[in-house]
Amino acid sequence: MLVGIALENNKSNTSKPKECANEMSQYLVAVASERCKRSYAKIFGYFAPRLRSYALKQMGNEALAMELVQDTMSNVWQKAHLFNVEKGSPSTWIFTIARNIRFDMLRKLQNRKEDICSDDLWPILCETTADQNEIPLDEQVTLEQVGQLFNHLPDKQRSVIEAIYIDGKSQQEVADQLSIPLGTVKSRTRLALQRLKDMLEDHD
Amino acid sequence: MINFHPTDKQLRQFAEGNISSAMALVVAAHCDMCSHCQEKVDEVNVELAQDIENIAAHEMTDPAFEKMLAEITAKPMIDTRPAIVPKIELDGRFFDVPRPLRRYVRNTGNWSKLLGKVWQAPVDIGEAGAAHFIFMENGGQVPEHTHRGNELTLVVNGEFSDGLADYDTGDFLVMDNEHIHSPHSNNKDGCLVFSIVDEPLHFTSGLARLLNPFSHLFFK
Ligand SMILES: [Zn+2]
Repeated sequence: MLVGIALENNKSNTSKPKECANEMSQYLVAVASERCKRSYAKIFGYFAPRLRSYALKQMGNEALAMELVQDTMSNVWQKAHLFNVEKGSPSTWIFTIARNIRFDMLRKLQNRKEDICSDDLWPILCETTADQNEIPLDEQVTLEQVGQLFNHLPDKQRSVIEAIYIDGKSQQEVADQLSIPLGTVKSRTRLALQRLKDMLEDHD
Repeated sequence: MINFHPTDKQLRQFAEGNISSAMALVVAAHCDMCSHCQEKVDEVNVELAQDIENIAAHEMTDPAFEKMLAEITAKPMIDTRPAIVPKIELDGRFFDVPRPLRRYVRNTGNWSKLLGKVWQAPVDIGEAGAAHFIFMENGGQVPEHTHRGNELTLVVNGEFSDGLADYDTGDFLVMDNEHIHSPHSNNKDGCLVFSIVDEPLHFTSGLARLLNPFSHLFFK
């Protein structure tokens, strides 16, 4: 029933956006300070249907749209104290929350294993979530290491690699220059790269 | 002074959330350092929020909404803790990083010497790309290279040049296969940058070419 009351209010609000913003700000403050459910119902009544239309357009699916509305409006309830009237209007704050949730939802749907989430990008709902799962990073190879290993290659392999990767010659040019068959250049290159790779792996 | 900014289009896509994660991270970090771009993003946010407000409100007759409202107001409030501000450390020097990058300071591995006076520390951002903090000491130079994919760079602290232009703290750069450059710093205090590449670099000159068959090892 509360929902019905909120809807009546909307109709007078839409013509006066500024007054509406002031009114919604006051409701948000009441939610933050007193957990006022009546105030929250007004905010919900105004924004939830609009967010659903926005979400339907963005997600193209009723169930996902409703999930986006629910997550967004939950944040509005649970984190109302983070709304700062000096930083912008309630609608801007609520849009940015919805945008963030959509960003994360889309990545989850696409099964992307990216360690970037909307809270980092748009810190509207700043809170640090402790994530202890640090992944150890493999040792990195440096140019100096490659240079040292390079010197350990047999002379014949080294001269081929040098000509190709440093002088930028083609394998045919190297074959002509060293007066050896192209096949030999190819096999020396392959052996040398394999050897470097093995040495790099041993190095770890 | 910041001279290199994301384009208006990139800022709008960022505000909309229609942008790759890697690009979003570097744009976000730039905006944290650049009030000019932050204002532009704020303006787009207001505009997009207005679009939502202008949607003709549907009837609230759907019982799903009443159920949702009851579920939400049954939830507890969430307290937020003030975030600690982690810094990047290198040889006893501590660097502030823009807010969007702070969580990743914990995901940053050890510094290793890339070559002479250039150091890099890998930053784990999952499959969004290969990210590094790179520090060029005064006189340090990254070998000339081009890019198979995109290289996004934010100057976190200091100044550097790359043969194409001079960059200052806060500058935002996007490099692709049309750019060949060799970043180097002649700044007294060196230069710290944050960089994300989606494909390994392709080194174009000298001994550094030797790295090409192994360049994936730099970015694993
Ligand atoms: Zn800017």
